[in-house]
Amino acid sequence: MPKDFKRGYIGMLPLFPGLIAFGLLYGVLARQVGFATWQTLAMSLIVFAGSAQFTAVGMWASSSAFPIILTTLILNLRHLLLGASLAPYLRGLPRSWKVALAFWLTDESYAVAIAEYQRGSGSHWYFFGASMGVYSIWAVASLTGALLGSAVPDPSRYGLDLVFPLTFLALLFNFLKDRKGVIVALAAGGVALVGASYLPGKWYVIIAGLLGSGLGLLIEEWKGLWTKS
Amino acid sequence: MEGAVDKILIFLGMALVTFFTRYTMIALFGHGISPRLQRWLNYVPAAVLSALIAPAALAPQGKIQLGLPVVSMLVGCLAAYRTRNVFWTILAGLAVFWLGKLAFPG
Repeated sequence: MPKDFKRGYIGMLPLFPGLIAFGLLYGVLARQVGFATWQTLAMSLIVFAGSAQFTAVGMWASSSAFPIILTTLILNLRHLLLGASLAPYLRGLPRSWKVALAFWLTDESYAVAIAEYQRGSGSHWYFFGASMGVYSIWAVASLTGALLGSAVPDPSRYGLDLVFPLTFLALLFNFLKDRKGVIVALAAGGVALVGASYLPGKWYVIIAGLLGSGLGLLIEEWKGLWTKS
Repeated sequence: MEGAVDKILIFLGMALVTFFTRYTMIALFGHGISPRLQRWLNYVPAAVLSALIAPAALAPQGKIQLGLPVVSMLVGCLAAYRTRNVFWTILAGLAVFWLGKLAFPG
C-alpha cells in the first residue's frame, strides 16, 4: 500500500512550481509584518491553509484574534464542498484516517486525488501521499521565503501569479469528460468571476461550486426525462 | 498583536476552524449518500476548479482586467487541452506572458 503513497507524492510534483511561488510569497509577507522565521514556518505547519495564511498575515497588524479566526473560517468554508465530494471514496476508512486526510486536505491534493479516484486507481494512501507532497513543499517554500525576506522580487512582474491558475487549468481538463463537464466549468467560472467582484472572502467558490455542479445534475436529469418519454 | 504564545494560540484557533471545514462533510457523509447526491457531487471538481481559476486569472484585484494575463490563460487553455500536462501548460502560459512583456514593455 505505501507504494500508493509514493505514487501520490509523485503525482503532486507537477504542482510544486505553483506551491513554491505561493509559499515563497507567504514567507516574505509574514516576515514583513513581524513574524519570526520559526513563527512563519509554524503557521504553515499548524494551520496549513494557503489563502487563509495570506489573509491572516495581511490582517495581522490591524486585527485581533477573533476577526482573523473568523476570516479563516469563512475562507475555508469551501472545503465543505471538497469534503462532500470526497466523502463517498473515504467511506469505510477508520476514523483516524479520515481525520488525517481531512487535516491535510487542500485544493491541490483534492484536485489530484479526486481525479485519481474517478479514474478508479485512487486510494487513501495515494491521497495521503499527495497531501504530504503539498505539506512538505509548502513548509520548505514558506521557510525559504522567510529566510530570503525582501530578496524575493514582486512575483506579478514575472507573471508568477499566473502559475497557480495555469496549474489548476491543466488539472481542470481531467474533469471535462463530456459536454456536460464543459458547461459546468464555464458556468462555474462565469459565476465565480461575477461573484469575486461582489462577494466577500471566498464565497464565490462556494456559490459557483454549488450552482455549477447543480447545473450538471440538472442537465443529466433532464436528459434522463427526455429519453424516457 | 504581540507575543509568541499569542501567535501560536491564534494559529491553533485557525487550525481548529480549518479542520472543522475539512472534516465535517467527510464525517457526515461517511455512512452512504443517495445516488442523486452522488451524481451531483461528481460535478463538484470541475465546478470548484473553474471557480478557483477564473477570478485568479481574469480579476486578480477583484475587478475584471483584460490584458496579457488573459491571453496567456487562453494559450494555457490550448496547451492544457492538447497536452493534459501541468508543466507544459505553465510553460506555455508563462512564455506568452514573458514574450508579451518583451514586446510591450511597461
